[in-house]
Amino acid sequence: MPHRFHLPPQVLRIVLLAAGIVSSYLVARYFLTPPSFRQYGFYRGAALLELGDREPVYAGRKECVSCHDEAGAKLAGHEHKNLSCEACHGPGQAHAANLDVKPVALNFSHCVRCHEANLSRPKWHKQIVSKEHYPGSKCTECHRPHSPNEVP
Amino acid sequence: MSNPYSRRTLLSVLGTALTGVLAAPLARTAKAAVTNVLASTGAADGYDPTQHKWVMGIDVNNCIGCGLCAEACKRENHVPEGPYYRTWIERYTITKPKPGSGNARGETVVESPMGGMNGFKDPKVPKDEILHSFFVPKLCNLCEHSPCVQVCPVGATFDSPDGAVLIDPKYCIGCGFCIQACPYGCRFLSPKTHTAEKCTLCYHRTTKGLKPACVEICPTQARVFGDLKNAEPDDPIRKFYRNNKLQALKPHLGTEPRVMYAGIDKEVR
Repeated sequence: MPHRFHLPPQVLRIVLLAAGIVSSYLVARYFLTPPSFRQYGFYRGAALLELGDREPVYAGRKECVSCHDEAGAKLAGHEHKNLSCEACHGPGQAHAANLDVKPVALNFSHCVRCHEANLSRPKWHKQIVSKEHYPGSKCTECHRPHSPNEVP
Repeated sequence: MSNPYSRRTLLSVLGTALTGVLAAPLARTAKAAVTNVLASTGAADGYDPTQHKWVMGIDVNNCIGCGLCAEACKRENHVPEGPYYRTWIERYTITKPKPGSGNARGETVVESPMGGMNGFKDPKVPKDEILHSFFVPKLCNLCEHSPCVQVCPVGATFDSPDGAVLIDPKYCIGCGFCIQACPYGCRFLSPKTHTAEKCTLCYHRTTKGLKPACVEICPTQARVFGDLKNAEPDDPIRKFYRNNKLQALKPHLGTEPRVMYAGIDKEVR
Protein backbone atom coordinates (compact mmCIF):
# COMPACT_ATOMS: atom_id res chain seq x y z
CA MET A 1 0.00 0.00 0.00
CA PRO A 2 2.30 2.79 -1.19
CA HIS A 3 -0.12 5.71 -1.08
CA ARG A 4 -3.24 5.74 0.96
CA PHE A 5 -4.33 9.27 0.07
CA HIS A 6 -3.43 10.04 -3.48
CA LEU A 7 -4.69 13.46 -4.56
CA PRO A 8 -4.42 14.37 -8.22
CA PRO A 9 -2.47 17.68 -8.47
CA GLN A 10 -5.38 19.67 -9.95
CA VAL A 11 -7.62 18.65 -7.06
CA LEU A 12 -4.86 19.50 -4.60
CA ARG A 13 -4.57 22.98 -6.13
CA ILE A 14 -8.30 23.56 -5.79
CA VAL A 15 -8.29 22.31 -2.21
CA LEU A 16 -5.34 24.58 -1.34
CA LEU A 17 -7.01 27.58 -3.01
CA ALA A 18 -10.26 26.92 -1.14
CA ALA A 19 -8.36 26.49 2.13
CA GLY A 20 -6.55 29.76 1.45
CA ILE A 21 -9.80 31.65 0.80
CA VAL A 22 -11.53 30.18 3.85
CA SER A 23 -8.59 30.83 6.16
CA SER A 24 -8.16 34.42 4.96
CA TYR A 25 -11.89 34.92 5.57
CA LEU A 26 -11.54 33.46 9.06
CA VAL A 27 -8.53 35.64 9.82
CA ALA A 28 -10.32 38.76 8.54
CA ARG A 29 -13.44 37.88 10.55
CA TYR A 30 -11.37 37.33 13.66
CA PHE A 31 -9.77 40.74 13.38
CA LEU A 32 -12.76 42.73 12.15
CA THR A 33 -15.49 41.44 14.48
CA PRO A 34 -15.90 43.87 17.39
CA PRO A 35 -15.36 42.24 20.80
CA SER A 36 -18.94 42.92 21.93
CA PHE A 37 -20.50 41.32 18.85
CA ARG A 38 -22.81 38.47 19.94
CA GLN A 39 -22.70 39.71 23.53
CA TYR A 40 -26.52 39.87 23.47
CA GLY A 41 -27.27 38.84 19.90
CA PHE A 42 -26.20 39.27 16.31
CA TYR A 43 -25.13 42.90 16.80
CA ARG A 44 -22.55 45.00 18.58
CA GLY A 45 -23.34 44.94 22.31
CA ALA A 46 -21.31 48.11 22.83
CA ALA A 47 -23.87 49.98 20.74
CA LEU A 48 -26.23 49.80 23.73
CA LEU A 49 -23.74 51.64 25.90
CA GLU A 50 -23.02 54.18 23.22
CA LEU A 51 -26.72 54.91 22.67
CA GLY A 52 -27.23 55.27 26.41
CA ASP A 53 -24.23 57.54 26.81
CA ARG A 54 -25.85 60.94 26.29
CA GLU A 55 -27.05 63.75 28.55
CA PRO A 56 -30.82 64.11 28.84
CA VAL A 57 -32.45 67.43 27.96
CA TYR A 58 -35.44 67.01 30.29
CA ALA A 59 -34.38 66.53 33.90
CA GLY A 60 -37.55 64.85 35.18
CA ARG A 61 -39.84 65.91 38.00
CA LYS A 62 -37.77 64.19 40.72
CA GLU A 63 -34.79 66.32 39.84
CA CYS A 64 -36.90 69.53 39.85
CA VAL A 65 -38.57 68.76 43.17
CA SER A 66 -35.23 67.93 44.80
CA CYS A 67 -34.67 71.72 45.00
CA HIS A 68 -38.14 73.18 44.42
CA ASP A 69 -39.87 71.03 47.03
CA GLU A 70 -42.36 73.81 47.88
CA ALA A 71 -43.66 73.80 44.29
CA GLY A 72 -43.97 70.02 44.37
CA ALA A 73 -45.85 70.18 47.68
CA LYS A 74 -48.18 72.86 46.28
CA LEU A 75 -49.05 70.70 43.28
CA ALA A 76 -50.01 67.68 45.39
CA GLY A 77 -53.71 67.43 46.10
CA HIS A 78 -54.70 69.50 43.09
CA GLU A 79 -55.76 68.69 39.58
CA HIS A 80 -52.25 69.38 38.28
CA LYS A 81 -50.66 66.89 40.71
CA ASN A 82 -49.47 64.52 38.00
CA LEU A 83 -48.14 67.22 35.73
CA SER A 84 -44.45 67.24 34.95
CA CYS A 85 -42.79 70.55 35.88
CA GLU A 86 -41.20 70.67 32.46
CA ALA A 87 -44.57 70.42 30.70
CA CYS A 88 -45.07 74.13 31.46
CA HIS A 89 -41.60 75.36 32.39
CA GLY A 90 -39.73 73.76 29.50
CA PRO A 91 -36.71 71.47 29.50
CA GLY A 92 -34.71 71.83 32.70
CA GLN A 93 -31.59 69.68 32.59
CA ALA A 94 -29.41 72.66 31.62
CA HIS A 95 -30.79 74.56 34.62
CA ALA A 96 -30.38 71.57 36.95
CA ALA A 97 -26.76 71.10 35.91
CA ASN A 98 -25.91 74.81 36.09
CA LEU A 99 -28.13 77.10 38.16
CA ASP A 100 -26.97 80.15 36.22
CA VAL A 101 -28.92 78.89 33.22
CA LYS A 102 -32.47 80.09 33.84
CA PRO A 103 -35.46 78.19 32.47
CA VAL A 104 -37.43 80.06 29.81
CA ALA A 105 -39.86 82.71 31.08
CA LEU A 106 -43.48 81.71 30.65
CA ASN A 107 -46.19 83.56 28.79
CA PHE A 108 -49.69 82.14 28.79
CA SER A 109 -49.52 80.03 25.66
CA HIS A 110 -48.82 76.96 27.79
CA CYS A 111 -52.23 77.25 29.52
CA VAL A 112 -54.30 77.26 26.34
CA ARG A 113 -52.08 74.62 24.81
CA CYS A 114 -54.00 72.10 26.87
CA HIS A 115 -57.15 74.00 27.86
CA GLU A 116 -58.27 75.59 24.58
CA ALA A 117 -61.53 73.95 23.55
CA ASN A 118 -61.18 71.40 20.77
CA LEU A 119 -63.79 69.03 19.43
CA SER A 120 -61.31 66.15 19.41
CA ARG A 121 -60.36 66.51 23.07
CA PRO A 122 -61.95 64.09 25.50
CA LYS A 123 -64.99 65.44 27.33
CA TRP A 124 -63.56 64.95 30.83
CA HIS A 125 -60.85 67.50 30.10
CA LYS A 126 -61.60 71.10 31.24
CA GLN A 127 -61.60 73.39 28.21
CA ILE A 128 -62.31 77.04 27.49
CA VAL A 129 -62.73 79.12 24.36
CA SER A 130 -60.09 81.75 25.06
CA LYS A 131 -61.77 84.36 22.85
CA GLU A 132 -64.92 84.14 24.95
CA HIS A 133 -63.41 83.31 28.35
CA TYR A 134 -62.54 86.75 29.82
CA PRO A 135 -60.58 87.95 26.79
CA GLY A 136 -57.76 90.35 27.58
CA SER A 137 -57.17 89.15 31.13
CA LYS A 138 -54.33 86.95 32.27
CA CYS A 139 -55.08 83.37 33.31
CA THR A 140 -53.34 83.93 36.68
CA GLU A 141 -55.77 86.72 37.60
CA CYS A 142 -58.31 84.01 38.41
CA HIS A 143 -56.34 80.71 38.41
CA ARG A 144 -53.28 79.49 40.25
CA PRO A 145 -51.34 77.15 37.96
CA HIS A 146 -49.79 75.19 40.87
CA SER A 147 -53.09 74.84 42.73
CA PRO A 148 -55.88 75.22 40.18
CA ASN A 149 -58.62 74.39 42.70
CA GLU A 150 -57.86 77.52 44.72
CA VAL A 151 -58.95 81.05 43.84
CA PRO A 152 -56.42 83.83 44.45
CA MET B 1 8.08 7.32 -1.33
CA SER B 2 8.50 9.01 2.02
CA ASN B 3 7.27 7.32 5.12
CA PRO B 4 4.14 9.12 6.36
CA TYR B 5 5.51 8.85 9.91
CA SER B 6 9.09 9.99 9.19
CA ARG B 7 11.06 12.30 11.48
CA ARG B 8 10.64 15.08 8.91
CA THR B 9 6.82 14.98 8.90
CA LEU B 10 6.67 14.72 12.67
CA LEU B 11 8.95 17.73 13.12
CA SER B 12 7.05 19.84 10.60
CA VAL B 13 3.69 19.02 12.26
CA LEU B 14 5.09 19.80 15.71
CA GLY B 15 6.66 23.01 14.39
CA THR B 16 3.36 24.20 12.92
CA ALA B 17 1.55 23.42 16.17
CA LEU B 18 4.13 25.34 18.20
CA THR B 19 3.88 28.35 15.90
CA GLY B 20 0.11 28.22 16.26
CA VAL B 21 0.31 28.19 20.05
CA LEU B 22 2.77 31.07 20.05
CA ALA B 23 0.74 33.03 17.51
CA ALA B 24 -2.48 32.98 19.59
CA PRO B 25 -1.44 35.65 22.17
CA LEU B 26 0.14 37.70 19.39
CA ALA B 27 -3.11 37.55 17.42
CA ARG B 28 -5.08 38.56 20.50
CA THR B 29 -2.91 41.64 21.01
CA ALA B 30 -3.13 42.51 17.35
CA LYS B 31 -6.90 42.07 17.44
CA ALA B 32 -7.23 44.36 20.44
CA ALA B 33 -5.22 46.99 18.58
CA VAL B 34 -7.39 46.65 15.47
CA THR B 35 -10.70 46.77 17.35
CA ASN B 36 -9.55 49.77 19.37
CA VAL B 37 -9.14 51.65 16.14
CA LEU B 38 -12.36 50.39 14.56
CA ALA B 39 -14.79 50.52 17.44
CA SER B 40 -14.31 52.18 20.78
CA THR B 41 -16.67 50.92 23.46
CA GLY B 42 -18.58 53.29 25.72
CA ALA B 43 -18.02 53.27 29.44
CA ALA B 44 -19.84 50.67 31.51
CA ASP B 45 -22.40 52.27 33.82
CA GLY B 46 -23.66 49.33 35.84
CA TYR B 47 -26.86 48.98 33.83
CA ASP B 48 -27.65 45.41 32.86
CA PRO B 49 -29.98 45.30 29.83
CA THR B 50 -30.96 41.69 30.50
CA GLN B 51 -32.55 42.65 33.84
CA HIS B 52 -35.17 44.99 32.35
CA LYS B 53 -38.01 44.87 29.87
CA TRP B 54 -39.28 48.33 29.05
CA VAL B 55 -42.68 48.73 27.51
CA MET B 56 -45.11 51.54 26.75
CA GLY B 57 -48.87 51.71 26.79
CA ILE B 58 -51.05 54.43 25.27
CA ASP B 59 -54.41 55.37 26.76
CA VAL B 60 -56.14 57.24 23.94
CA ASN B 61 -58.98 58.27 26.28
CA ASN B 62 -56.47 60.46 28.10
CA CYS B 63 -54.78 62.09 25.12
CA ILE B 64 -55.73 65.76 24.77
CA GLY B 65 -53.58 66.36 21.69
CA CYS B 66 -51.45 69.08 23.28
CA GLY B 67 -48.41 67.93 21.33
CA LEU B 68 -46.00 68.23 24.26
CA CYS B 69 -44.76 64.67 23.72
CA ALA B 70 -43.86 65.24 20.07
CA GLU B 71 -42.14 68.51 20.96
CA ALA B 72 -40.27 66.98 23.90
CA CYS B 73 -39.10 64.06 21.75
CA LYS B 74 -37.78 66.40 19.12
CA ARG B 75 -35.84 68.40 21.70
CA GLU B 76 -34.65 65.47 23.77
CA ASN B 77 -33.31 63.48 20.85
CA HIS B 78 -32.14 66.38 18.68
CA VAL B 79 -34.37 65.15 15.88
CA PRO B 80 -33.65 67.12 12.68
CA GLU B 81 -35.86 70.08 11.79
CA GLY B 82 -38.58 69.39 9.28
CA PRO B 83 -40.94 66.47 8.83
CA TYR B 84 -38.94 64.04 10.96
CA TYR B 85 -40.53 62.62 14.09
CA ARG B 86 -39.70 59.77 16.41
CA THR B 87 -43.08 60.17 18.02
CA TRP B 88 -46.05 62.12 16.75
CA ILE B 89 -49.77 62.53 17.24
CA GLU B 90 -52.43 61.73 14.70
CA ARG B 91 -55.99 62.91 14.85
CA TYR B 92 -58.65 60.53 13.63
CA THR B 93 -61.96 62.08 12.70
CA ILE B 94 -64.66 59.61 11.76
CA THR B 95 -67.68 61.15 10.05
CA LYS B 96 -71.29 60.14 10.42
CA PRO B 97 -72.54 57.90 7.59
CA LYS B 98 -74.57 59.52 4.80
CA PRO B 99 -78.27 59.18 5.60
CA GLY B 100 -79.75 56.20 3.82
CA SER B 101 -76.34 54.79 2.87
CA GLY B 102 -76.77 51.82 5.21
CA ASN B 103 -73.26 52.26 6.55
CA ALA B 104 -72.46 52.21 10.24
CA ARG B 105 -69.76 54.86 9.92
CA GLY B 106 -68.66 57.43 7.40
CA GLU B 107 -65.19 58.32 6.21
CA THR B 108 -62.03 58.47 8.28
CA VAL B 109 -59.90 61.61 8.12
CA VAL B 110 -56.39 61.38 9.56
CA GLU B 111 -54.28 64.47 10.11
CA SER B 112 -50.99 65.19 11.81
CA PRO B 113 -49.95 68.80 11.12
CA MET B 114 -46.26 69.15 12.09
CA GLY B 115 -46.55 65.78 13.81
CA GLY B 116 -49.01 67.42 16.19
CA MET B 117 -46.04 69.22 17.76
CA ASN B 118 -47.84 72.56 17.91
CA GLY B 119 -51.23 71.15 18.84
CA PHE B 120 -54.34 70.92 16.71
CA LYS B 121 -57.05 73.29 15.58
CA ASP B 122 -60.66 72.10 15.41
CA PRO B 123 -61.19 69.46 12.71
CA LYS B 124 -62.15 70.77 9.27
CA VAL B 125 -65.12 68.45 9.18
CA PRO B 126 -68.21 70.39 10.40
CA LYS B 127 -69.14 69.57 13.99
CA ASP B 128 -72.52 68.02 13.21
CA GLU B 129 -70.95 65.57 10.74
CA ILE B 130 -68.45 64.14 13.23
CA LEU B 131 -69.16 60.79 14.78
CA HIS B 132 -65.91 60.50 16.75
CA SER B 133 -62.74 62.53 16.82
CA PHE B 134 -59.75 61.60 18.94
CA PHE B 135 -55.98 61.79 19.14
CA VAL B 136 -53.65 58.81 18.76
CA PRO B 137 -50.03 59.21 19.82
CA LYS B 138 -47.74 57.12 17.64
CA LEU B 139 -44.24 55.83 18.14
CA CYS B 140 -42.16 52.73 17.46
CA ASN B 141 -44.46 49.82 18.29
CA LEU B 142 -41.58 47.75 19.73
CA CYS B 143 -42.52 44.67 17.76
CA GLU B 144 -41.73 41.22 19.08
CA HIS B 145 -41.11 40.16 15.46
CA SER B 146 -39.75 43.39 14.00
CA PRO B 147 -39.84 43.54 10.20
CA CYS B 148 -37.23 46.32 10.33
CA VAL B 149 -34.74 44.08 12.11
CA GLN B 150 -35.31 41.23 9.68
CA VAL B 151 -34.50 43.28 6.59
CA CYS B 152 -31.36 45.07 7.80
CA PRO B 153 -28.55 43.77 5.58
CA VAL B 154 -25.72 44.74 7.93
CA GLY B 155 -27.08 43.81 11.36
CA ALA B 156 -27.23 47.46 12.39
CA THR B 157 -30.73 47.33 13.84
CA PHE B 158 -31.66 44.90 16.56
CA ASP B 159 -34.02 44.06 19.40
CA SER B 160 -32.15 44.96 22.54
CA PRO B 161 -32.60 42.60 25.52
CA ASP B 162 -34.41 45.34 27.46
CA GLY B 163 -37.18 45.77 24.92
CA ALA B 164 -36.09 48.64 22.69
CA VAL B 165 -35.55 48.27 18.96
CA LEU B 166 -32.33 50.15 18.37
CA ILE B 167 -30.04 51.22 15.54
CA ASP B 168 -26.28 51.04 15.79
CA PRO B 169 -25.33 54.30 14.04
CA LYS B 170 -21.79 53.05 13.40
CA TYR B 171 -23.07 50.05 11.44
CA CYS B 172 -26.04 51.62 9.64
CA ILE B 173 -25.26 52.23 5.97
CA GLY B 174 -28.41 54.27 5.31
CA CYS B 175 -29.87 51.92 2.71
CA GLY B 176 -33.42 52.58 3.88
CA PHE B 177 -34.71 48.99 3.77
CA CYS B 178 -35.89 49.24 7.38
CA ILE B 179 -37.77 52.45 6.63
CA GLN B 180 -39.77 50.66 3.95
CA ALA B 181 -40.22 47.58 6.09
CA CYS B 182 -41.69 49.34 9.13
CA PRO B 183 -45.49 49.01 8.78
CA TYR B 184 -46.01 51.83 11.28
CA GLY B 185 -43.87 54.45 9.54
CA CYS B 186 -41.72 54.94 12.59
CA ARG B 187 -38.35 55.32 10.91
CA PHE B 188 -36.76 58.01 8.79
CA LEU B 189 -33.44 58.67 7.12
CA SER B 190 -31.76 61.49 8.98
CA PRO B 191 -30.60 64.28 6.66
CA LYS B 192 -27.84 65.02 9.19
CA THR B 193 -26.24 61.62 9.72
CA HIS B 194 -27.61 59.82 6.61
CA THR B 195 -28.45 56.86 8.79
CA ALA B 196 -31.87 55.54 9.78
CA GLU B 197 -33.27 56.95 13.00
CA LYS B 198 -36.16 55.99 15.20
CA CYS B 199 -37.55 56.02 18.72
CA THR B 200 -34.98 54.50 21.08
CA LEU B 201 -37.43 54.53 24.01
CA CYS B 202 -35.11 57.35 25.12
CA TYR B 203 -32.41 54.79 25.79
CA HIS B 204 -30.11 57.43 27.31
CA ARG B 205 -32.85 58.22 29.85
CA THR B 206 -34.21 54.77 30.67
CA THR B 207 -30.72 53.42 31.39
CA LYS B 208 -30.30 56.26 33.91
CA GLY B 209 -33.60 55.52 35.64
CA LEU B 210 -35.57 58.32 33.96
CA LYS B 211 -38.78 57.92 31.99
CA PRO B 212 -38.70 58.65 28.24
CA ALA B 213 -39.18 62.35 27.52
CA CYS B 214 -42.65 61.88 26.02
CA VAL B 215 -43.85 59.96 29.09
CA GLU B 216 -42.24 62.42 31.48
CA ILE B 217 -43.90 65.38 29.77
CA CYS B 218 -47.38 63.94 29.10
CA PRO B 219 -49.74 66.02 31.28
CA THR B 220 -52.57 63.47 31.32
CA GLN B 221 -50.70 60.15 31.67
CA ALA B 222 -51.91 59.07 28.26
CA ARG B 223 -48.52 57.42 27.90
CA VAL B 224 -47.70 54.76 30.46
CA PHE B 225 -44.21 53.36 30.77
CA GLY B 226 -42.82 50.58 32.88
CA ASP B 227 -40.40 47.74 33.37
CA LEU B 228 -42.21 44.43 33.04
CA LYS B 229 -39.38 42.52 34.73
CA ASN B 230 -39.45 44.69 37.86
CA ALA B 231 -42.97 46.19 37.98
CA GLU B 232 -44.85 45.88 41.25
CA PRO B 233 -48.62 45.25 41.04
CA ASP B 234 -49.32 48.94 41.73
CA ASP B 235 -46.95 50.11 39.00
CA PRO B 236 -48.74 52.29 36.40
CA ILE B 237 -47.99 49.79 33.62
CA ARG B 238 -49.55 46.90 35.60
CA LYS B 239 -52.61 49.03 36.33
CA PHE B 240 -52.80 49.95 32.66
CA TYR B 241 -52.78 46.28 31.67
CA ARG B 242 -55.27 45.37 34.38
CA ASN B 243 -57.81 48.13 33.88
CA ASN B 244 -58.01 48.38 30.10
CA LYS B 245 -59.02 46.29 27.16
CA LEU B 246 -56.02 46.55 24.92
CA GLN B 247 -55.41 46.46 21.24
CA ALA B 248 -52.27 46.47 19.08
CA LEU B 249 -51.95 48.34 15.79
CA LYS B 250 -52.19 46.22 12.62
CA PRO B 251 -52.35 42.89 14.46
CA HIS B 252 -52.93 41.06 11.17
CA LEU B 253 -49.28 41.63 10.24
CA GLY B 254 -48.09 39.33 13.00
CA THR B 255 -45.51 41.81 14.26
CA GLU B 256 -46.73 41.37 17.86
CA PRO B 257 -46.24 44.98 18.99
CA ARG B 258 -45.42 45.50 22.65
CA VAL B 259 -46.92 49.00 22.55
CA MET B 260 -50.56 48.46 23.42
CA TYR B 261 -53.38 50.93 22.92
CA ALA B 262 -56.45 51.41 25.07
CA GLY B 263 -59.57 53.04 23.69
CA ILE B 264 -58.85 53.12 19.96
CA ASP B 265 -61.41 52.65 17.23
CA LYS B 266 -61.13 50.02 14.54
CA GLU B 267 -60.14 52.69 12.00
CA VAL B 268 -56.80 53.29 13.71
CA ARG B 269 -53.96 51.76 11.74
